[in-house]
Amino acid sequence: MPLDTSAYSLALLRVDGRRWNELRRVHAQIRTQAAADGSSYLEMGHTKVMCVVNGPSEPGPRRGTAGGGGGGGGPGGVAEVAVSVVVAGFSSVDRKRRGRGDKRTLELQTTISNALAASLHTHLYPHSTISISLHVLSQDGSLLAALINAATLACVDAGIPMTDYVVACTAGSTSTYAANDETADPLLDLNHQEEQELPSLTVATLGETDRVAVLVCESRVQASRLEGMLAVGVSGCHQVREILDQVVRDKGRHMIKEGTVEKGMGVEEMEVD
Amino acid sequence: MATTTSQQVLLCPAELAYLHSSLSLTPPIRPDGRTPTHFRPLVAETDILPGTNGSARICFADGTEAIVGVKAEVEKTRGVEEGVEESEVREDEKEGRSEWVELTVEIPGVRDDDGGTAFLSAMLGEALLSDGGFVKRLWINRRWHWKLYLDILLISPPLSYPLPLLSLTTHLALLATRLPRLKSEGVEDPFFDDDWAAAPYLYPRDKKSGKALARPPVTLLVMAVGRNIIFDPAKEELAVADVALAVSVGEAAETGDNDMGGKGRKLRLLSVRTIDPPSRVTPPGVPNATNAAYGAAGTTQKQPEARMAEAEAVEGVWRAPRGGAKPLVMAALVQKTLERGGVADEVLDALEGVDLG
Amino acid sequence: MPREAEPSLNERQFVLKALEENLRLDGRTFDKYRALALTFGDEYGVADVTLGRTRVLAKTSAEVTVPYADRPLDGIFTITTELSPMASPAFEINRPTETEILLSRLLEKTVRRSGAMDTESLCLVAGQKCWSVRVDVHVLSHDGNLTDAACFAVVAALRHFRKPDTSMEGGVLTVYTPAEREPVPLSWLHSPFCITWCFFGDEGQMALLDATWSEEQVRVGSCTISLNRHGEICQIAKLGGTPVEAVALLQCTNVALTKAKEFSTYLDKKLAEDAKRRDKDGLMAELSAENDR
Repeated sequence: MPLDTSAYSLALLRVDGRRWNELRRVHAQIRTQAAADGSSYLEMGHTKVMCVVNGPSEPGPRRGTAGGGGGGGGPGGVAEVAVSVVVAGFSSVDRKRRGRGDKRTLELQTTISNALAASLHTHLYPHSTISISLHVLSQDGSLLAALINAATLACVDAGIPMTDYVVACTAGSTSTYAANDETADPLLDLNHQEEQELPSLTVATLGETDRVAVLVCESRVQASRLEGMLAVGVSGCHQVREILDQVVRDKGRHMIKEGTVEKGMGVEEMEVD
Repeated sequence: MATTTSQQVLLCPAELAYLHSSLSLTPPIRPDGRTPTHFRPLVAETDILPGTNGSARICFADGTEAIVGVKAEVEKTRGVEEGVEESEVREDEKEGRSEWVELTVEIPGVRDDDGGTAFLSAMLGEALLSDGGFVKRLWINRRWHWKLYLDILLISPPLSYPLPLLSLTTHLALLATRLPRLKSEGVEDPFFDDDWAAAPYLYPRDKKSGKALARPPVTLLVMAVGRNIIFDPAKEELAVADVALAVSVGEAAETGDNDMGGKGRKLRLLSVRTIDPPSRVTPPGVPNATNAAYGAAGTTQKQPEARMAEAEAVEGVWRAPRGGAKPLVMAALVQKTLERGGVADEVLDALEGVDLG
Repeated sequence: MPREAEPSLNERQFVLKALEENLRLDGRTFDKYRALALTFGDEYGVADVTLGRTRVLAKTSAEVTVPYADRPLDGIFTITTELSPMASPAFEINRPTETEILLSRLLEKTVRRSGAMDTESLCLVAGQKCWSVRVDVHVLSHDGNLTDAACFAVVAALRHFRKPDTSMEGGVLTVYTPAEREPVPLSWLHSPFCITWCFFGDEGQMALLDATWSEEQVRVGSCTISLNRHGEICQIAKLGGTPVEAVALLQCTNVALTKAKEFSTYLDKKLAEDAKRRDKDGLMAELSAENDR
């Protein structure tokens, strides 16, 4: 199904009515699950993911899941970040079951695990495991970005010390790789339809810095366009960070109001700004 | 016989013995203060995922949470000869096949080919299919049928044996499932109405009250300690169970006019499975009489004797249950589940209260 | 599961300290590759690539099969990777490690998904018969930077490969042996190459090309960029690791482009040399079934 990209140049509106630099609606919740150490639910448009974090804890009996060495935590006396991604069969339009051994899923797991391991202070928890399990309930593009954001939120909820939020979003470019079109506009936060048709990349940054933790591009694109796409992606990440931060602060305030937590030093600081 | 639940029990023999004896009292004292027939409170919602034909989420009070999504696809029925024109289809000719339903269970941190997961999905599937009317609903015409994919996700770590949770969630998801309205007639290739609002429910509902006329089965977990029968056991309770059963209960077709909801409900037993309780692999306690630390004389030298003493039950000392359950206890278990106003009845009533769609 | 021996603290410190003083253990500059050597086998479609002490062998084969039901007009093209215990004790047979999965995904994205080969040209009879082209990648020796070497080997093997010529007459498909008709090359569209950067230091401020095994052990992150000589990015994979400045990544891409062009020129030269070697008596032109119309 060819996407009518010509419409964009007329009104500068995308298929879902957004402008080039607009994010889709991001809705997030934390502490959605009482039994886990940390949990989150995140929607980016129609992409919906859930995340549950357990640990840092002693590694249990060795499980068969991939994504980590199992045993006594990661190498070099740091905690192992074990990620498992379950893509629900009902998440896409046509039901398609992906097994645990699927290479794409394994690649997602490795990426999330490596991205978080660099931001979490894993050296504080030697010989332990932080297990993150992610469930994809609905897919509409920007899957990796949504997974990273959800995992970050759940780690915040679990109270695992980290340098900063690892936030992600996607960026694309308005014309296909074939057209060597210098006027191509960069786009922010692509949905499934745009992801199918246009070159795109996923960027994850460390909080509000320009430092890129994850950069994944799976489509052919002129090297000259990379700069524009990356710039838009990074600024999108900053917007996402604002949103996620607001979610965490709101939840914190709510918990103080309810009396779930005592107003302490760290929290007071939060109330000030 | 099922494999044991994957989680290990982290209770010492003394704790196990205490739990066992408090659960054997009349009335039993449960660690969370519930009565024997009391179900854990739960939060439920349906139609949470617009991309599915039906979906539901249930969260138990202990924090375990499950999501079920149902997807339906039109599929050609195999083994039907082409070209046979059939002007009329009699109602009794409608028949379903079990391969029209595909059920998968995902439990985090457990391998795909794990025995426990396979057993869970087999058990949930068995209950659904043994209710013969279910697959019939998927029949479109002689050559076409719906293929139903049920994806059951356990979101939380498996704290307690997840069977009841998964079963209740599946129940709700199926109740909320809608299939597009058929516009074609007879044996022609089916085509459907685009209007989702006109789509009928898989389990048809009463036009006025909006209540489902029939309901999918539920599977409940029941266990016995001594002569006590305890419903919906928590993980700790299951750890001292003498016997644990998964009982699948369906609703018999409603007869007569009863607008009183559950009062006139007739329950049918669909299947019973014994679950291997984790209590069987718990370490036994050592009575003081044979414990060297308490100065039991000569135990170290006379090992064989010590072992014999251990085999005998000593009051207040934990011993893993061995052997099967008495037929009387089994009968009581099933009886309790099915009786009018009993637990199954209560659970179905409660689920009826969940606002559907 | 056997694990790779971890480098000791001393080794780790030594490599890192040297890097801070702009020195690499083998005396290269940061953006210099080790000696790259490519040899073709006697058969068509066999490429043996050595990059320093890393050695990868790629072998292409083709057979006629039935196309996938959902893609009746496409041929089948697969790349399989095998990391045997021969390359490193950490690899086991029949149990793909993370390295292997990532490597095969990278090759898949770089070569297959970027459309380097025209898979539609592999179709013989729509929905019934097509060529299935398969590249097997064997890692013979692992001394770092497997990705770049493997990718180069795959591209070289595919471009060197000749599949038997076929003809369709009255619904009858004939596959000719090399004796009857000279085999024909695959329909090749562009040649992508992987260039892997490894990052070192607390903030990933040092970037190295073509890291050896000992350097890979102490890196904090890596980024593989696949490009062809037309300046098209086919794939970028920075899968986690320490965050790196966005500007530095752009810089890396620019350097990678010049490297990809070098690779491309080298491969073209080698292919031409090999063609010359095979065409000793100038018989090739005569044997070819193609006419210059």
